[in-house]
Amino acid sequence: MISSIAGAIFSLEFVYVLTGIVLWLFAAMTFRDRANKRRRGSASFWVILGAIFIFGSVLPHWLTGVLVLVMAGIDGSGGVSRGHYHESTKAEQAQHAKRLRNKIFIPVLLIPIVTFGFAIAFRLLKLDVNRGALVGLGLGGVIAMIACLWITREKSRVLINEGRRLNEAMGAVNILPQLLASLGIIFTAAKVGDLIASGIHKIIPADSLFLLVMANCLGMALFTIVMGNSFAAFPVIATGVLSPLIIQPFGVRPEMVAIITLTAGSSGTLMTPMAANFNIVPAALLNMRDQYGVIRFQLPFALTIWSLHVILMWLMIKLF
Amino acid sequence: MADLWKLIGIAIVIVGLALRLRTTLVVVTAALVTGLVAGLPLFSSEGFFQQFSYLARPGQEGIINMLGRAFADNRLMTLFIITLPAIGLAERYGLQEQSAAVIRRIAAATVGRLQIVYQLFRVLTGILGIRLNGHPSFVRPLIFPMSVGAAEATFGAASAEEVPEEIVENIKAANAASENYGNFYGQNLSPVQPGILLVFGVLNGLGYAASVWSLVVYAIPIASISVILAGIQFWLLDRRYRRKAEAR
Repeated sequence: MISSIAGAIFSLEFVYVLTGIVLWLFAAMTFRDRANKRRRGSASFWVILGAIFIFGSVLPHWLTGVLVLVMAGIDGSGGVSRGHYHESTKAEQAQHAKRLRNKIFIPVLLIPIVTFGFAIAFRLLKLDVNRGALVGLGLGGVIAMIACLWITREKSRVLINEGRRLNEAMGAVNILPQLLASLGIIFTAAKVGDLIASGIHKIIPADSLFLLVMANCLGMALFTIVMGNSFAAFPVIATGVLSPLIIQPFGVRPEMVAIITLTAGSSGTLMTPMAANFNIVPAALLNMRDQYGVIRFQLPFALTIWSLHVILMWLMIKLF
Repeated sequence: MADLWKLIGIAIVIVGLALRLRTTLVVVTAALVTGLVAGLPLFSSEGFFQQFSYLARPGQEGIINMLGRAFADNRLMTLFIITLPAIGLAERYGLQEQSAAVIRRIAAATVGRLQIVYQLFRVLTGILGIRLNGHPSFVRPLIFPMSVGAAEATFGAASAEEVPEEIVENIKAANAASENYGNFYGQNLSPVQPGILLVFGVLNGLGYAASVWSLVVYAIPIASISVILAGIQFWLLDRRYRRKAEAR
């Protein structure tokens, strides 16, 4: 009995439900926010997202799909907008900082500490570490809320409103990673990757090792840029290019070239807005003026390390 | 030749982003059009939809079903929303001011050095086999205000407002980048990480007897290069900030 309750609380499902409830609270406040010119559209957007969080595992997939289309429709017609959040002034913040001093770090430190703690606990219990980190992030968020209320003696209404302020500063960008993951699934079902691999087949002469290595790393980076995800690109490039054109004809150690191919894809991830959770969401989370600011910063690094991938792979094949 | 039409989804995304249309709508349109061009049905053939042969075909998963399934399966990507109330309230109560105050007291702290230390920390978590998205848990609440505090010291500014705005924007980008650099290239240094397991699985599927440990060993050169290269980028960033501060 106790273990089944613990199992339910320390599950990903429970954390999803909590996140959905937080979204519904945001939506309720937004619905009553007269300063938001599109308060109905905005509130419905967050209500639907909350519903998918809470019921996503039991709703039929077609219904979730239709709800996603409705969300895209609301955002596409400009229906997701910002309101007024009774922000504090810099002077007030500085005054609080003088009073609370380092105590204010406790809640924000609790988020990574709990995330870490759960990851390690799951590892020790021989459970899935990644799941542990996610459950930890969710429960860490809740524990941090409680700690923050306790330290600041603030009303829970203000707590939720501050969360709403950060959430709506990001807006519909929030759901982009989930949408792009769906796009990736549909690209895969439509066999877009096979098409790219066969294109490379046709262009590159099969006897030039350097050109093949370059085409392999380029194909991997390009396909990652399109998919926004090197993990989705790797099986396609490995099957269509790496194995038939490099590993087999040149008798290369598969592990050596495979892992370098994967990180050649990571160089692509650094350059693409399609990897929204790494490049676009952080820009929104940090309130950057330029949506593509993170990509611009990463571009010289990404291009340099991509070239080094080509040289390294070619050298390692030659030397070993 | 007809196959090439499948690439229309990529074209829609590129054109849509270039025209700065709503990204959500662009992505959904690209997904629907790609699926339809590839001849996939809109809905799976089950229950109510079985009666409509133009909407559903037996044995094929529908585009809308895929959309819903993938969206629900990837809720973990949006889990960070639950951390926002605590971060927001802490900000209201002076989180950024206090982080800046703490960092100003550490004389050796510069923006560039902070990013290097953070990236190394992320490589270390990768080696430990811990996978996390550091943007919401570390970067937004901690690394960003600490970096602004370090910049205040460099620019001799009394508060975050006195640091030039373009520098603050640049710091935000550097924060996100150090997280990505450390995460992407550091995570392959552990055999339990998904990247290694994916490569292992694909190689086995292709009929090669691969070992996860030798994959980890072959990941070391690129991981080292990534740390050195980022170190250079962050060192140059410090130098640029110093020169700007002197010129003021």
